Amino acid sequence: MIAQEKYQEALEIITRTLPLPGVIGRICPHPCEEACRRKEVDEPISICSLKRFAADKFNINELPLPDITPRDEKVAIIGAGPAGLTAAYFLAKDGFPVTIFEALPVAGGMLRVGIPDYRLPPDVLEKEIKWVTRLGVEIKFNTALGRDITIDGLMDDGYKSVYLAIGCHADMKLNIPNEDAKGVIPGVKFLRDSALYDIKKLEGSVVIIGGGDVAIDAARSALRLGADKVSILYRRTQAEMPARNEEIEDALEEGVDIQFLMAPVEVVENEGRAVGLKCIKMELGDPDASGRRRPVPVKGSEFVVDTDIIIPAIGQRTDTSFLESATGVELDRWHNIQVDPLTFETTKKGIFAGGDAQTGPSIAIKAVAAGREAAVSISRYLNAEDLKEGREPLQLPQENFNPFSKDIEKVKRSRMPRISMEKRKKGFTEVERGLRENQAVIEAEKCLNCMVCCECFECVKVCKAEALTLKTHSQKDETVEVNVGSIILASGAKPYDPSKHDTFNYAKHPNVVTSMEFERILSASGPYGGHLVRPSDKKEPKKIAWLQCIGSRDVHLGANGYCSGVCCTYAIKEAMLAKEHSHGNLDAAIFYIDIRTYGKDFERYYIRAKDDLGVRFIKSRITNIVPVKETGMQLIRYVDETGKSVEEEFDMVVLSVGLTVSMEIAEKAGKWGIDLDHYNFARTSSFEPVKTSRPGIFVCGAFQAPKDIPSSVIDSSAAASAAGSILAGSRWSLTKTRDIPEEIDVRGEPPRIGVFVCRCGTNIAGIVNIDDVVEYSKNQPGVVHVEDNMFSCSQDTQDKITEVIKEHRLNRVVVAACTPKTHEPLFQETLINAGVNKYLFEMANIRNQCSWVHQDNPGKATEKSKDIVKMAIAKARLFEPLSESTMEINQSALVIGGGVAGMAAAQNMAEQGYKTFLIEKKDFLGGQARHLHETWRGEDIQKYLNMLIDAVRTDQNIKVFLNSQITQVDGFVGNFKTTIKSNEESRVLEHGVTIIASGASELKPDLYLYGQDSRVVTGLELQQRFVDNDQALARLKTAVFIQCVGSRIKERPYCSKVCCTQSIKSAVKLKEINPGMNVFILYRDLRPYGLREDLYREARSKGIVFIRYDSNKDLTADVEHDDLKVTFADRVLRRTMEIRPDLLILASAIVPETDDSLTRFYKIPRNADGFFEEAHVKLRPVDFATDGIFVCGLAHAPKPIDESIVQGKAAVSRAVTLLAGKTCQASGNVAKTNPLICSSCGVCVSVCPYSAPSFIPEDDRFFPGRAQINPVLCKGCGLCVASCRSGAINLKGFDNDQIFAQIFSLNEAG
Amino acid sequence: MSDWEPKIVSFLCNWCSYGAADLAGVSRMEYPPNIRVIRIPCTGRMSPKFILAVFMQGADGVWVSG
Repeated sequence: MIAQEKYQEALEIITRTLPLPGVIGRICPHPCEEACRRKEVDEPISICSLKRFAADKFNINELPLPDITPRDEKVAIIGAGPAGLTAAYFLAKDGFPVTIFEALPVAGGMLRVGIPDYRLPPDVLEKEIKWVTRLGVEIKFNTALGRDITIDGLMDDGYKSVYLAIGCHADMKLNIPNEDAKGVIPGVKFLRDSALYDIKKLEGSVVIIGGGDVAIDAARSALRLGADKVSILYRRTQAEMPARNEEIEDALEEGVDIQFLMAPVEVVENEGRAVGLKCIKMELGDPDASGRRRPVPVKGSEFVVDTDIIIPAIGQRTDTSFLESATGVELDRWHNIQVDPLTFETTKKGIFAGGDAQTGPSIAIKAVAAGREAAVSISRYLNAEDLKEGREPLQLPQENFNPFSKDIEKVKRSRMPRISMEKRKKGFTEVERGLRENQAVIEAEKCLNCMVCCECFECVKVCKAEALTLKTHSQKDETVEVNVGSIILASGAKPYDPSKHDTFNYAKHPNVVTSMEFERILSASGPYGGHLVRPSDKKEPKKIAWLQCIGSRDVHLGANGYCSGVCCTYAIKEAMLAKEHSHGNLDAAIFYIDIRTYGKDFERYYIRAKDDLGVRFIKSRITNIVPVKETGMQLIRYVDETGKSVEEEFDMVVLSVGLTVSMEIAEKAGKWGIDLDHYNFARTSSFEPVKTSRPGIFVCGAFQAPKDIPSSVIDSSAAASAAGSILAGSRWSLTKTRDIPEEIDVRGEPPRIGVFVCRCGTNIAGIVNIDDVVEYSKNQPGVVHVEDNMFSCSQDTQDKITEVIKEHRLNRVVVAACTPKTHEPLFQETLINAGVNKYLFEMANIRNQCSWVHQDNPGKATEKSKDIVKMAIAKARLFEPLSESTMEINQSALVIGGGVAGMAAAQNMAEQGYKTFLIEKKDFLGGQARHLHETWRGEDIQKYLNMLIDAVRTDQNIKVFLNSQITQVDGFVGNFKTTIKSNEESRVLEHGVTIIASGASELKPDLYLYGQDSRVVTGLELQQRFVDNDQALARLKTAVFIQCVGSRIKERPYCSKVCCTQSIKSAVKLKEINPGMNVFILYRDLRPYGLREDLYREARSKGIVFIRYDSNKDLTADVEHDDLKVTFADRVLRRTMEIRPDLLILASAIVPETDDSLTRFYKIPRNADGFFEEAHVKLRPVDFATDGIFVCGLAHAPKPIDESIVQGKAAVSRAVTLLAGKTCQASGNVAKTNPLICSSCGVCVSVCPYSAPSFIPEDDRFFPGRAQINPVLCKGCGLCVASCRSGAINLKGFDNDQIFAQIFSLNEAG
Repeated sequence: MSDWEPKIVSFLCNWCSYGAADLAGVSRMEYPPNIRVIRIPCTGRMSPKFILAVFMQGADGVWVSG
């Protein structure tokens, strides 16, 4: 808090446990600092000085008083020292009326009369005592126990409990002759008298006897009172002195003379007045019980010191003269009050004790702690609770600390400024002046946050939803045992920490950020509210550099050898967003090794960034950046494409950090019993990519391998499906059925509208005047109830709304909050729970389309909100309850395509117990995989494929149709009727869901002599030769691969994803067959993404030559004297090169099927490249927008075999969620014809994209020939409604009168 | 006329433009407050009568997006 300059909050936190922060912050010997872990870096944090700083900075008496519930039971406290005041403070907070009885005329105990003013000014103490008395604590002065009051007397006066905190105010005696002579003043008494101004001046010389704090305090006080010479005699050496070293040093500095190894023998007196002290020299003997060496007198060494005043300060004790007045209270063997060590209860019930009187003389903070514990005991005692339950002696937790970096910079502890020596000697002005503000902030910033949360409870204060309360904040982890049949690990990866590479200055310079931090900077909810500024000075950056592959593709210590797979695309996205944020003034440069935009549609994104938005892409791996002094700029040196050395300065540098598995997860994997690979990713095979080494445990997402969101989501569905196969038998066995209250029939009732206006924390209420909107809504016709909620979507508000609906018999509900797109279903559920039809609900979008976009204009935003709410109310007034039609779902599936994806899907579907039709247009199963030899990991694809074909063929649940073509498709989700022509025979398959796995194929290029020269083959054809074990390959001398043949070109602006890895794998295989062969791979960007980078590294180590060719220049293949000749432009050497291979392999593109019959039959879209387009790239990556149809494999996008298998399973998972429901509900927002008006024109029948309208058959009794609409097929788009020339169609929920009502309620259209 | 602001009523398709308007909010894109949105299930639902009604109500412009 101090680091954040929130001093009031800091003081509030301190006073939760310490009522006297300014006092303790001055005088405490701070044992707490010993425990501070900062000492492992440099020195402990000055906790004590910081407490004092907070107390000095904010007036404690301006803190708000806590809420106190008053109690009747009176408590008496004897002694207004630190223990008594603390106990009073906490008891008063608990509501008990507390009276403190103090023997002296002042409060504070030893704090006031023991500690001299130059260490603790009385006004500081008085201020904090006032803080205690503000809580209602009363202090009665000059009232001593034994002299003026007795314990029994207090009890008779109605006090229910007494706390004895009388301190140690009696001096120990020297026990030497003439001790009582005039001029001998015991130490404690001396300090007390000077504090109470009974001694105002000293003359002559002073000798003090003792080595403790009292001796030093007495010496320094004597000096200030005017003594000519002050000496301290101590019988041991400085090393044994109990006084604090700082104090001794201060005393010496001020001119106090300290004599060691001397002991008093006798006070020399003259006429009853001390004139000198007879002393004896000592020497150190054997150690005593305390471990210190015992001082032994040196015989015959006596001598006399002349002096005027002698102050013995050899110890103090509890004044036990009160005992007679406290029957039942006993002393321990040190003559202190005996108590229970845990509860501080004395031998007499209800009487407690603490502080010096109980411990013997000790430090103030111990007395404070004792006072607090006693308050707990007394409070429990008065509540008749167990005093001991759950209490343990305080132990400092020394585990689960937040780890800290070893590279933290060492910072010296700040020292407080002090007053001049001249002033020090002259009077009692406070010597230490406290930390300066900048010192305190620096000191506080050194905190390592050992426990992560410092329990400041600021979060509780700001949580308006009251989700975080003191109670929920204190929640602890609990162990819950669950019985499960399968486990899915989705523990993910974390961003790589770049701070270990000092060459990037990440930890030191605020303008060097990680990509994740940059995402936050761009975010509207981020640290700068979505304004792109650089952290050091909050100025808009003009140039930003992204450095790729930070911690990835790097085998140096601490980094990861793999490609993280996601960084290229996200860097491009960040650069584009940054450009958008800066309104086009930003120069964005991405420094890369290879741009790996291999995902679906990612290449187009890259091209757009480069060509349309002008993001600069610079091929150069940057290994260090240099901060430019004081400008906040960062200098990057690189060599550009022309070979020129360039130096460029950037305002900000974004480190594109990779993904890494956390050590915590890796360690847990050991406990889970699953194998990890050498990078700590869960080990899986290419054929079962979500299955770990332990049966029943599956994995998905970035814990399996580094991957992006679409792949992770596909993985997660696949893992669910894999778990589903082994648990299919127990489906629905542990489910609970929800009780739905019966729907109340509200037809014919006048509208009773309830309006709920959501504040959404400050999201809406921060801009829009909610009270205004509430008042306005109350006056709308039909409205019977209006209220505002902090968060309308929270569970408790939902419950409340349900109750309000019932209580006010609401029959229409309007929620003015966020968008119906996300929250309508939630509130409809609330209506259902209240027994109201869910179509009697309307949302007024006053957040997304109002408060969030008109932040600069709260007045207009409020007016607009009123309008929006008014429109919603006008519409809701006209709502009628609607019904939904239920339909049965046919419990079988159709899989189209007999490749690996289709077969994996069919197999998985059958495992889950559903009947599956698998149709294939060829006369064999296997698809493209029939040509593939090994996966990149070296697994045998043919072996797997044969196993899979066998499994599919023999499965009872799967019916395979080869040589089949689809000729017609009828029906819709749940009830498809697909007609196929199989071996000239037509048949109709009825199925509930459809999975499209229709595949893709390799482009047969018309380039580079392909088809003209037998030495030119495609990548897949080479694979086939491996499958066929072609011996001729061994005789090859030189092989050249050309990458991106037909991919990443203007006609086909996508990456075919598999070719780089496949070529590298083939190259390695060729090297294996003939290690002497020269193998070249000509590439543009090499894209062996993720863990495949290992294969790339292996290939390079085997001598395979990778050459980056310039795709803007000619690359040709010719035949010259029977030699094949490949000519190309090398981008690195900037020269035209020529290779004469005897095998030229074209890594040819994957191209989609050209036949578009599936598109037509199932009304499913394709993207610009011809691959099927999923409903949502990230959220629904295997679904189509059309219900009940799913996609997987190459038909979706180019991908390797493991990803096809995963996607096949994922499609099943999504399909099964539908099938398992057995029935589905169609929406109630559908069109309905009025056959009385219908003119049978047929426009609706022809315009409907869903074939919902039809003519009533001519032989029907009612309305033959008129139009009718099948509510199951209708999607409620309203196309027919708008096109009906007779006005015979109504769209429920969006009917003409409802929309007109909205229009006419517009306040003159805004 | 310099401070004159047209009153605009928009009909937005639930599936695309209405979602886009929501997204503009998520991204905190500021725009003038003199626009009112009517959500329709599809621009196919749009009827010329709605446009006439809006002008009758005093609007200066109608925006149909989908």
